Amino acid sequence: MPPAATVDRPSNVSDSLARGRLGVPSVIFFVLSAAAPLTVVAGVVTTGYAVTGVTGIPLAFLVVAAVLALFSVGYVAMARRLTNAGAFYAYVARGLGRPAGVGAAWVALIAYNALQVGLYGAIGAAAEPVLQQIFGGSPAWWVVALVAWALVAILGLLRVDVNGMVLAVLLVAEILVILVFDVAQVSHPAGGSVSFATLSPDNLLVPGVGAILVLATTGFTGFESAVVFSEESKDPKRTVPMATYLSVAIIAALYAFSAWTMTVATGPARIVDASREQSTALIFNLAGAHLGDTAVTIGQALFLTSLLAAMISFHNTTARYAFALGRERVLPALFGQTSPRTGAPRVASLAQSLLGLVVIVLYAVAGWDPLVQLFFWGGTGGGFGVLLLIATTSVAVIAFFARTRTGETLWRRAIAPGLAAIALTAVIVVAVDNFAILLGVAPDSPLRWAIPAVYPVAALLGLLWGLVLRGSRPDVYARIGLGAESAVAEAPLVTPEPAPAGVEAAR
Amino acid sequence: MLIADEFFLVAHNDSRGKAKLHPAATGLGLAAGLLGELVLFGRITVSAGLVTVLDRRPPADALAHTVLDQLIGEPQHQAVRTWLSFLAQTGVSSVGERLARAGVLRRQESRRLLRTSLSYVPVDLNAAAWPATRLRTLLERPEPPSVPDALLLGLVAATGLTREVLWSAGPLAHHRLGVVVPALPAPLKELVGHTEAAVGAAVLRGFP
Repeated sequence: MPPAATVDRPSNVSDSLARGRLGVPSVIFFVLSAAAPLTVVAGVVTTGYAVTGVTGIPLAFLVVAAVLALFSVGYVAMARRLTNAGAFYAYVARGLGRPAGVGAAWVALIAYNALQVGLYGAIGAAAEPVLQQIFGGSPAWWVVALVAWALVAILGLLRVDVNGMVLAVLLVAEILVILVFDVAQVSHPAGGSVSFATLSPDNLLVPGVGAILVLATTGFTGFESAVVFSEESKDPKRTVPMATYLSVAIIAALYAFSAWTMTVATGPARIVDASREQSTALIFNLAGAHLGDTAVTIGQALFLTSLLAAMISFHNTTARYAFALGRERVLPALFGQTSPRTGAPRVASLAQSLLGLVVIVLYAVAGWDPLVQLFFWGGTGGGFGVLLLIATTSVAVIAFFARTRTGETLWRRAIAPGLAAIALTAVIVVAVDNFAILLGVAPDSPLRWAIPAVYPVAALLGLLWGLVLRGSRPDVYARIGLGAESAVAEAPLVTPEPAPAGVEAAR
Repeated sequence: MLIADEFFLVAHNDSRGKAKLHPAATGLGLAAGLLGELVLFGRITVSAGLVTVLDRRPPADALAHTVLDQLIGEPQHQAVRTWLSFLAQTGVSSVGERLARAGVLRRQESRRLLRTSLSYVPVDLNAAAWPATRLRTLLERPEPPSVPDALLLGLVAATGLTREVLWSAGPLAHHRLGVVVPALPAPLKELVGHTEAAVGAAVLRGFP
């Protein structure tokens, strides 16, 4: 059967497999629904103004978007040539070697867990006005957090990925509410005139710039997931890149506009103080002044559902990460098990939930501040990890294309990822320098080094573990980075390396 | 009984014909069973991720005949994963119908809330429960299982049904199951590997 015979002829197989294929809009919906816009606008941005005291946040979103768009050029080009394309560590494993891949996988596990667990810190603040309205009172934050935790844990096990339609409706509602609030904020500027002061580039020439760039990266987390749908998309060569670029553009426009309109409504000089006083209630208070109580109530309810949706989505992402690593046997094989009836990655999901419970209880017992020390630190700490992953991936993309002969243009395989790598490295350097500002702690606080140091330590340990695997368990080593596809690793997928195809019966 | 039939009964080991396994894995397991039957009949082989037709003579079974015709009719598609996805879409109904024709299952349509759902209910509960029981006892014996049984065991493991089948078995049975797949002939071993990968990919995508 010569492959040359592939003329376009009617094919039952192609037709029936094409029926469920996704177009650009569907993929964008999948990506954005994990982004939970209201969580970022009402939670991350306001807390960001309050903690960092830097007013350049709107610009930071645009700068990060530009860098990520540049990064995506090489990223989507490599994604087409990769199995397990949804995970950054797979790129690192292919581009920079399997030991580096294990290091990246450990960094990713920590970063995504931090992002997920951090969300429990905001749920109390988000639920308070809603509960206040219904019951006339609200319990301690950790009670709400534990209820949300139980919900996430159960849904994760049942694998009720919140129904796509529900997510789409919530997403559209969130975006509408944000836009209505934004318009109200712009049309009622403080002092009577709309100020563009926070959009001026000199807002980025201040000491805290690294902090807000990390914060902005947090807001984009999830943009990388469009490549997961390569096989399900109508035209992988077009759909996935389009969806990735458009997602980045939409997120950037929405967040930058919202962050800017907040400063218009409070006045650029007052935004930091207003955020410190009112915290996550800021945008609702601003809206309440102009739009009335109903709009505020709707907004507050959507903030709550937005957080819940983000928790479930990040829980599932994290559990799937651990599942993929379990399938590779980089984590114990137990993590690669699924529940037969639901197909949920059972052990991985339980482990993530257990971590969430421990963190909530720890914060409740210690009496730490949930909003700043859990939500914001978790979010930005996780965002910093994602930033490290993106930077490493851009280097991996260059290395991959340097070794693999392809028809990609020089721009796609070297120049764009190269520029992205330089820009991302610069952001990381400034971010490490500004970490005390990012966390809102004193410059000599040990946390300022302890939190960013978690990642290099994890990466180094992962790298060493990868080297150990190479020596002691070559069958596992051959599977690194392949995710679910590692089940066929013994067959042709293995690149020529000293990986004996020998299969020991007992692992 | 053919591989896909037994897999169907193991995956629906229930008096009302309800699935024990999520739809994605059930479909892929059945698809792999159908391809496995053709490999065992000597009609096709699997290597380097591709399906190749070796012998165009129709097998005796009507469904196997149909699947072989589909493979022959669309030679532009050779990837195992493509055929697994394609056959998975109709796996439950095609294998369910085959079992209904054989008198093992009975079609049952039920209307609930505007939706008509079709299920296949066992005619004889003992006969329907037999494959799972048989697999369990196979692993309790020291001698290695036959190739078709080993393939079925491999598909059970690849789709995540191990615990359903081995719920009462000891660690020795689990160990024997771990040895079964690596000992399979190469084409079948690869088929099982691709099934496991496809099931894992479905979990990672988060589709039901």
